[in-house]
Amino acid sequence: MFRYISKVIRYLSLKNKNASQDTTTGKVNNEPISSDLKRNLEVIKGILRDSSDVTFHEFNFGHDRRFKGALIFINSLADKNEIHKNILQPLMYDVLLLKKDANMDFTKIDTVSKNLISITDTQKLVLASDLIDHLLAGATILLVDGAKEALAIKSQKVEHRGIEEPGTEAVVRGPREGFNENVNVSIALIRRKIKDPDLCIEKFNIGERSKTDVYIVYIKNVANPKLIEEIRERLDRIKIDAILESGYIEQFIEDAPYSIFPTVSNSEKPDKVVSKILEGRAAILVDGTPFALVVPMLFIESFQSGEDYYSRPFLASIMRLIRFLSYIISALGPAIYVALTVFHQELMPTQLLISIAAGRERVPFPAILEASLMIFTFDILREAGVRLPKAVGQTVGIVGALVLGQASVEAGLISPIMVIVVSSTAIASFAVPAQTDSGTILRYIYLALAGLAGGFGVIMGLLATLLHLASLRSFGTPYLWPIVPLNFSSLKDTFIRMPLWTMSKRPSAVVWDESDNYRQSPGLMPSPYKKDSGGSK
Amino acid sequence: MTKKINIKINILTSKLVLCLLMLFMLSGCSGGREINDLEIVIGMGVDKDEDTGNILLTAQVVKEGEMEKSSGSGGGGGDGKAFWNVTGTGESVFESVRQITHKTGNRLFVSHNHVIIFGKDLASEGLQKYIDFFLRAHEMRPTAIILIAEGRALDVMNAKPETEKLPAMNIAKLVKTYGFTSHFYKVNMKDFASCLMCDSRSPIAPLVGVSKDGDNKDIYMSGMAVFKNDKMVGRLNEDETRGLLWVLGKVKSGVLLISFPNKQGKAAFEILEAKSKVIPEIKDGKIVMHVKIKAESSLSEQTTAEDLATIEAFEKMQKAQAEVIRQEIMAAFDKSRELNADVFGFGEMIRKKHSNKWKSLKDKWDEIYQTIELNTDIEVKIQKTDLLKKPASPKKEEK
Repeated sequence: MFRYISKVIRYLSLKNKNASQDTTTGKVNNEPISSDLKRNLEVIKGILRDSSDVTFHEFNFGHDRRFKGALIFINSLADKNEIHKNILQPLMYDVLLLKKDANMDFTKIDTVSKNLISITDTQKLVLASDLIDHLLAGATILLVDGAKEALAIKSQKVEHRGIEEPGTEAVVRGPREGFNENVNVSIALIRRKIKDPDLCIEKFNIGERSKTDVYIVYIKNVANPKLIEEIRERLDRIKIDAILESGYIEQFIEDAPYSIFPTVSNSEKPDKVVSKILEGRAAILVDGTPFALVVPMLFIESFQSGEDYYSRPFLASIMRLIRFLSYIISALGPAIYVALTVFHQELMPTQLLISIAAGRERVPFPAILEASLMIFTFDILREAGVRLPKAVGQTVGIVGALVLGQASVEAGLISPIMVIVVSSTAIASFAVPAQTDSGTILRYIYLALAGLAGGFGVIMGLLATLLHLASLRSFGTPYLWPIVPLNFSSLKDTFIRMPLWTMSKRPSAVVWDESDNYRQSPGLMPSPYKKDSGGSK
Repeated sequence: MTKKINIKINILTSKLVLCLLMLFMLSGCSGGREINDLEIVIGMGVDKDEDTGNILLTAQVVKEGEMEKSSGSGGGGGDGKAFWNVTGTGESVFESVRQITHKTGNRLFVSHNHVIIFGKDLASEGLQKYIDFFLRAHEMRPTAIILIAEGRALDVMNAKPETEKLPAMNIAKLVKTYGFTSHFYKVNMKDFASCLMCDSRSPIAPLVGVSKDGDNKDIYMSGMAVFKNDKMVGRLNEDETRGLLWVLGKVKSGVLLISFPNKQGKAAFEILEAKSKVIPEIKDGKIVMHVKIKAESSLSEQTTAEDLATIEAFEKMQKAQAEVIRQEIMAAFDKSRELNADVFGFGEMIRKKHSNKWKSLKDKWDEIYQTIELNTDIEVKIQKTDLLKKPASPKKEEK
């Protein structure tokens, strides 16, 4: 009840806020550009009066310098070299190369841009609000006296990192390039991998103040149009002042905001994102972050790595099974240990029981407290290690692992087997990066259940988790697909990775047209050259 | 509208929470106990207290701290023993078990009890009233091995083995590896009880004794105890036990020793595989048990210089082995008739094969057992002679 009331209050206050904003900002900006240069400049100067880095440059151009113009740009964003060479120089000097008797009318913005501006990316503007938007995005605005339009010339200079290997998804074999904070670089990386006219890149602009560029990237005829429509709708819903990272978008468009399992995947590797786009998914690229979102997300995607497909299938299959196993260990390790040692001592082999009992002889805490202490300490160490500079981080690791671990065992606070259980759990949780969060949370939940009701509690927790997982959907796709609902042909790429030439179809849950979803022709199994047939059968 | 839905959801969630709570609160297994509070019992012995005639129960409790220490540096504190034989007395087994907590402070944890040893005097008196607790208690394992001590069970449990730290574990290991000789057999509580409940079959249990050699006490296995109903009436020696196991098809391995009548010397064979099939036949009211045995062996040792790797020699030796096996079986059979105890389970076999006739046989099975005939058909095959073909003997002797 309280929740409902607070929701209503929040909703009403938001509504009011939005309404008031609309009235204040709309009035200033919805003016058309007038033909009077001076007036235009005054209006713009009025809006941007507190921005010291805006340059207003007025000049005369044409053969006899009878035309008046002005350039407006933001110092920090614009490439001045470009402005001097390709805008000012043509307008003021190269114009002299035109025949004087051509008698061109440079009060028309069309004539100016077609004859004089040697920059390709230009746009005509009619509204003052658009003008401000473009100016703030880094464009150089050309105003000409007498014209009712302005020209936005995209001459911004954007500082960005080079293309580097992503820190989060290192590979042994496979491309090492990663996406970039500059979304144009990211799109270029995708474009370079898919040279297909069907590749669609739809632009959105989200954020009242940040005006962040957001792109949906997908392949027409492969991606389901309903999926794209759904993404568009969900993106349009977002009314927010700023988008600082793709995580903002993720949290506004995901299917199950209260679930600990992510229903939107992310990656900084172009090859990974492209492979998903090719399967019929859609990527959402956000300017200002190297992390691209991909929807829909399946649970098994967390266990697939790009390298699985680049290396031969045998070890890849084993590694995938190991990833499943380590996820189970990371979620259940301490819980099973506690359940076994506190509730089900009879399930262990006698020798193991004796050595566990010997290790715990001096431990003053109950097993559940001992386990929570260890996990808690580990999570502190991890959190501290991530934030610290590299050199100090190492020290923290050594102090944490060696000194704390060793000393607490020797002091009899923690049993050595608990150290083994918790540290192997901790290591296992990093084997599946996409589900590290959910694994960590589940570990605490299962541990509590194990402490309350032993194996019975763990089984109850597992059942609840499975039910929850089976109920999840990501943009209409069942989260546990192809296990629930079962799809035999797609199991080729689930627990093990079959050879590439057997996987001739795209995953049918994601793809649009199920009847025609071949990504390669069937029967591509390689074989030695046969004299008579001359090819594969 | 939304308010109504919300209230509905709230009722639903509260019901769900209630269900979950009930699951945890009302389910039976909420009894956790820390490992530190357990006295892990790995073996139990039951004897008769000579003074009072009550039960003297010995529980072998593991001292976990001592287990960790390496056996060499046993100094530390105490006597370096990794176990503690704690005793309790009472008029019933359960009473004695609880009596033990007067000494341990913690409850005995018997889920890891591997062996249960009964004293010989209890066994000849009748085991029925003593094994009830071991079968009934939910923590007990029905797979615990049952043994009969030659003397007192307490003495067996006190004999500290040289390599193992825990006597009970040592005994369990001894029994489980019966296959090296097949001279005794592993019987667990479940098997023993099912034999006991059977109409005709007599239970058996391995016998364990303590040999004293100066200060050293060693445990040894000494055949099987034979029960009639729940009372121990006699014993099978090693050969007789193997005779029994041949018929049951439980011989795993072992040594078959044959001697040559004309020449001095012996040949020893390792049993590789043994299969048995018993077909009961009732002919004119007479019962004949046809025992078919197929065994494979390898020549493992010979004490003569003769070249035994010939077809004739093989045939001779195969026959000689079959004869040894037959003698063992007959020895066991004669002993079982002498004790009038159907250790083979022939009665059960007849019940399964000729169930209609069994009803009339059941009541006078004791008399009928004496008249059963045993017909053996034994086939032994020598598979290999291991690494040598001819014995390593000086050449002169061969001439």
